[in-house]
Amino acid sequence: MKKKFRIPIGVNSQQSLWGFFIILLLLTAPVSQVVAGVIVAPSVVVLDDKSKTGRMNLQNPSNSPKEVSISFSYGIPESDSLGNVNIFLRDTGITDPHSALGWVKAFPRKLIIPANGSQVVRFIAHPPKDLQDGEYWVRVVVESQEGITSIPVATDEEQITTQLNMIMRTAVMLKYRTGELVASVKLKDTQVIVNENDVDVFVDLANTGNVSYIGLLECQLLDADKKVISKNHIQLALYKDLLRRITLPFAEGNFKKPYSVAVSVTNKGRKDIPTSEMVFGNDLSTSISLVE
Amino acid sequence: MNSEHKMPSIWKILVLLLTMSFLMVASVSAQDVAVGQATATVQTPLTVTAIAALAFGTIFQGVPVSVAETDASAGIFTMTGQAGSGISLFLQLPEYMSTASGDDRMIISFSTTDCAIDTTANADPTTFGSGWTAQNPFNLPSGVIIGTASTQTSLFLGGQVLPSVDQTAGAYSADIILTVAYNGT
Repeated sequence: MKKKFRIPIGVNSQQSLWGFFIILLLLTAPVSQVVAGVIVAPSVVVLDDKSKTGRMNLQNPSNSPKEVSISFSYGIPESDSLGNVNIFLRDTGITDPHSALGWVKAFPRKLIIPANGSQVVRFIAHPPKDLQDGEYWVRVVVESQEGITSIPVATDEEQITTQLNMIMRTAVMLKYRTGELVASVKLKDTQVIVNENDVDVFVDLANTGNVSYIGLLECQLLDADKKVISKNHIQLALYKDLLRRITLPFAEGNFKKPYSVAVSVTNKGRKDIPTSEMVFGNDLSTSISLVE
Repeated sequence: MNSEHKMPSIWKILVLLLTMSFLMVASVSAQDVAVGQATATVQTPLTVTAIAALAFGTIFQGVPVSVAETDASAGIFTMTGQAGSGISLFLQLPEYMSTASGDDRMIISFSTTDCAIDTTANADPTTFGSGWTAQNPFNLPSGVIIGTASTQTSLFLGGQVLPSVDQTAGAYSADIILTVAYNGT
């Protein structure tokens, strides 16, 4: 025989309701306590020969203090033969004359940002004499970790416990500009590899100016009537020579052959960098027909 | 009878408090928003967060312990920033962990498949979304981007500790460092 259970309405139900309410509050509490690292802004610091100073804001949005240290490395985007891009940070053996490593200082270099606090880090450049016109680069490495770390103690004398400190580093570009600035890009080569489902476009670019060329690289796969089959773009940061790859898929549709690929390079339209910090230069465009 | 009459008011209080708590969360989130008529370029900062440390639990002498990158105990970093932006990632991994006094060391190793990178909003190593699986943590893939829909990318890290049979009991520590940079600035 089945028994029907009914929750009695009364004092007990009130208690259970308040219990439910407390549990719900506990469950929703993490929503407002999102774990976060140190926020570093801006994403590019620009210094010039007039003021020779700059600043960076560090914000700790977490509820625990963060230990932060500032250091410098050299690293610009470099590409491999497949058009993959990486930034390799180096501290020694730098031969690039555009390196600013060693003559830009940060104040302070070590700090503890309290919970939900912020701190300004200032930079000052001491460039060498007779520096040629152009742009000089260094990466500001902001390293942060929890302000207080403790290794868990083994509960048993024969046991082993471990603590791996997860340290976060953000490498932000710092640019020092002096004299007349020229942004210029040259297209060295463009190659297209047709695959079964897509097209790989390899765009080989050279920086012919004296500043980094910051812009956009866009490729479009077009049909015989110039209808866009597919398109893609990437943010471009050209410090030296750079090979970039963009993949364009063959989309379904009523497209007429022969197809072609239109390539364009511009340093207009970057919405993530203030216009005042951009050095505008030339645009490029080219078109490649796909071999049947 | 009285208790039955009190029920609706309790529910009202419950709903009211819940609404207030959510509004408080929303208002906290909205504090960064400035209202005005000026136009400005917003640079989305790149933020790296260590969500969870790689955890091996309690270890015994002579018994290796492995944690896969798909395990709940895997280390988790998240990167947030401008959606679709290319980033470079570089991990510095320890070869051993040491006691606070430095009188003993324990080997920690990472295989060439101990890392995964998820470009969805997922930060749970056990429920991988989309991206790169079984990656070499010493040579992370190029072409990693900040997730286009989520503005987040997560890195999951596994590893192995190899305590010797005469490993000194106690607490061992080491550092795992993740360096992140925008490729396009």
